[in-house]
Amino acid sequence: MARSMRTCLHSGRLALLAILVSGGIVLQILACALYNNWWPMLTVLMYLILPMPLIFFLGSNSPSMMSNDGDTWVSFTKFLTGASIVGSIAIPSILKHAGVIGWGALTMELSSFLVFGVAILWLIQMNSEDEYSSAF
Amino acid sequence: MDTTSFPAVWAVVGPGVAGAVFGVGWWFWVDAVVCSAAAVPFLHYLPGLFASFAALMFNCVKREDANYNYYSPYDDSEWRLKLWLFVSYVVSFVSLAGAVGFLVQDALTDTGPSAWTGVAGVLQSVFVLIRGLF
Repeated sequence: MARSMRTCLHSGRLALLAILVSGGIVLQILACALYNNWWPMLTVLMYLILPMPLIFFLGSNSPSMMSNDGDTWVSFTKFLTGASIVGSIAIPSILKHAGVIGWGALTMELSSFLVFGVAILWLIQMNSEDEYSSAF
Repeated sequence: MDTTSFPAVWAVVGPGVAGAVFGVGWWFWVDAVVCSAAAVPFLHYLPGLFASFAALMFNCVKREDANYNYYSPYDDSEWRLKLWLFVSYVVSFVSLAGAVGFLVQDALTDTGPSAWTGVAGVLQSVFVLIRGLF
């Protein structure tokens, strides 16, 4: 594939990724605004912790995240990721269980979480692709 | 990412799974406290806190290969490691017993059912944490 074509597709993918992330943010805010109930914003706290391993390790040697030899900090950030994934599912569920928000807000929250998850996974995959293609 | 063998995959996602189960444990507890009709006294928080502390203790031990030392000059330091592990096990089982005790006691009044899911979850998180960081 021609080099210019490849760069064009690459930036197209990045743009799509940005749209995905902003879509997730919109869903999150809609979940609050439509029902005039700002409690679901608590999940934003979890979303801040979620991309931490990416922020810390994506710039540096990303193989260290996917390979076996992880030092303690890599393990700790993975731990935080796992906990925040559960937390972003748990907070809306607890709010629904306590009767603070309704079913509509709950589904919006969960779909916003799914959108973010897809975006992050795609970003990781794109990054590992880049490593192999930039060798040429 | 090496997806061929299970130990390799586990080494990569293990800490994430440990974090997830730890989160599940604590969020069940939060749900129990939020949705309970009566106020939950601080005493009931203790089993969960101690279980998490035991998990932390357990994870301070870096590698299990520190146990298997074929060089006999290190004989005298082995017992410290084993004592540490033993104490962390004891603390986790005692907090489990405490949680069961609170459940039985509270079944008589009001804050019973959900309180158990919380602390049991935290205890499970201890065990996953045990496997998780190794």
